[in-house]
Order: sequence, then structure tokens, then C-alpha cells
Amino acid sequence: MIQNRKLELITVVAVLGFVIVFLAVNATGSHGFNGSDEVGSQKVAELTGHPVDSFTPLIPQWIPPSAEIESTLFAIQTAIGGVILGFVFGYWFGQKKQTSSR
Amino acid sequence: MHIMEGFLPWQWCIVWWLVAVPFIVLGIIELRSMMRKDREYLPLLGVCGAFIFILSALKLPSVTGSSSHPTGTGLSTICFGVFITSVIGAIVLLFQALLLAHGGISTLGANMVSMAIGGPLAGYAIYRLLKNTSVNIYITVFTVTAVADLITYVITSFQLALAYPAQIGGVMTSFAAFFAIFAVTQIPLAIVEGCVLALVFKYIVQIKPEIIEKLNVFSHEQIAKARMTEGSVASSEVRS
Repeated sequence: MIQNRKLELITVVAVLGFVIVFLAVNATGSHGFNGSDEVGSQKVAELTGHPVDSFTPLIPQWIPPSAEIESTLFAIQTAIGGVILGFVFGYWFGQKKQTSSR
Repeated sequence: MHIMEGFLPWQWCIVWWLVAVPFIVLGIIELRSMMRKDREYLPLLGVCGAFIFILSALKLPSVTGSSSHPTGTGLSTICFGVFITSVIGAIVLLFQALLLAHGGISTLGANMVSMAIGGPLAGYAIYRLLKNTSVNIYITVFTVTAVADLITYVITSFQLALAYPAQIGGVMTSFAAFFAIFAVTQIPLAIVEGCVLALVFKYIVQIKPEIIEKLNVFSHEQIAKARMTEGSVASSEVRS
């Protein structure tokens, strides 16, 4: 029996739509695609009339020295999640196989 | 959605920390008692946490020409409720504050209130509303996830607006300005996140329906119905 793949199809369409919108936005006009955190901070600076640099951390903070190192740390964050995900689904899958073969 | 370190006056930092702490404490208590009762939930907790880890690390470009990340809190909210989700969300936010300088320790309270507490609370309200209706369970998961994601950014906008009311128009004017930055960027992301987590939920229902039933996330009938329409029951019987 063919499984119902409606939800998979909807998800693929949503992701594709997202990519197409990105490509369209990117092609028209120059956008920095900066993080919204940063854009929000700029807005704070604009509203208060103080430049962004004048906002100093209340509690000293370690900042990744370069974008490369930052991307490594983000990759580690997703990798941790990915490992757990693969492990658990594998575990469940094995469990299911065992009970159904018995 | 992070409010960056130093961008919130210390008075507001304290306010949001005070709001956040009870949720985290209750979450830890709930987590401990659940673990003591039954270790069987641990894998599902891992999956829910893993999605918060993965999705909140992905900065995706959006229609407004800026980038933002989904929150991934919807799945955990449905399976484990608001308090436990708060704890997982807080761990992720702490990781990002300490190692990535995305958000900071002083603004962690505010960021927890938006991503780990407020979003899940809104999502949970939707879940309770839809739970015992005839709405398809995957549509429920989609809606809860998308709402939890979107409301997170609405709260961030509100937090910044409260701290920085515009000189003309006050809080509402600056809320509109921050809303345009955060929430509008977030709409397409919330839709995609909703689809992805609904799909993940479908796989959990297919492979491990008993755990969803045991946690009383959805009733036996609802799960059975979803499995029937997805055709997974029939196909697994054919395979075995």
C-alpha cells in the first residue's frame, strides 16, 4: 500500500516557497540579510538617539573573535541536536522492528 | 529574537529575570519528578530538546531582507507543557549567551520570557483549544508551533517597546517599529517551522504512538485516526 505523503508534500512546497521568496527578495534591491537582533539594536539606537557602540554590556561577555569561530559554535549546536535526534529515532526504530518481528 | 547584551536597561533586566525564574524552577521540579517516575520519556524529551537546539541555531533569510531563526519550542510544548519547555529553552539561550554573544546574561531573563516561556504559553493555549476538537492532530501541531514561534517575536518587540517608548506616540509607536523588524520577518519562518515540526510529529506517531498516548498528548482515538489516514498501520502490517 502506498503511504499517504500529503504532509511531506506540503512541507516540501513550503520550503521551496521559502527559497523562492528568498531568491526573489535577494534579486531585487540590496539587502544585507543581517540578523534581526542586529536590526533591532539599530532601531534601539535610533529611538534613543545614542549610537549602537554606546551600548556597553552590563555584564562582561565573551564574544567569538571571528565569524568563522562563531559559525563553528553554531555548527556544534546543531550537531548536538542532530546526534540526539538520530540516536533516538534509531533507538525507536529498532524497538519497533524487534516487537513486530516477534 | 535575542535582545543583545547591554541593550536593555538594568531595571528591565531585573523585571524579566523575576518573571522568568518561577517558570524555570517549576520546570526543573516537574522534570525531576517525571524522570523519577518513568525513564521512558527521556528519548522523547531528547527529540524535543534537539529540535530547539537545531532550529534556534539556523539563521534563515526572510522577506524583509534580514535574517532570523525559528524557535522550535512547539513540539516540546505539546508533549511536555510550558514549564519543561522553559527549562530546555533556557539551556539553549544560556549556551548562545555564553558562547556566541547572542543575547547576554543580563538580558537572558527577557529572552527566556519571550522564547522559552511566552511563546510556549501561547502555543499551549492553542493546543488546549484544539486538543479535544475534531481538528486533525497535525494541523494542531502546525498551528501550535507557528504561534509559539511568532508570539516569541511579538513579545521581544513588546519588551523593547516598553524599555524604549518613542518620544512621539510612546510604547505603541515603538512596538509597531520593533514588530515590523522582528515579527514580520518571522511570519514565513513560522510557517515553515510549523510544517517541519508537524512532519516530525507524524513520524513520532508512526514509530512510537504509545508514548504520545501515555503522555496524554492526544487521545487513543485521535492517534488511531491519524495513523489510519496516513496509511502507516496498513503498510506496517504488510511489512511484518
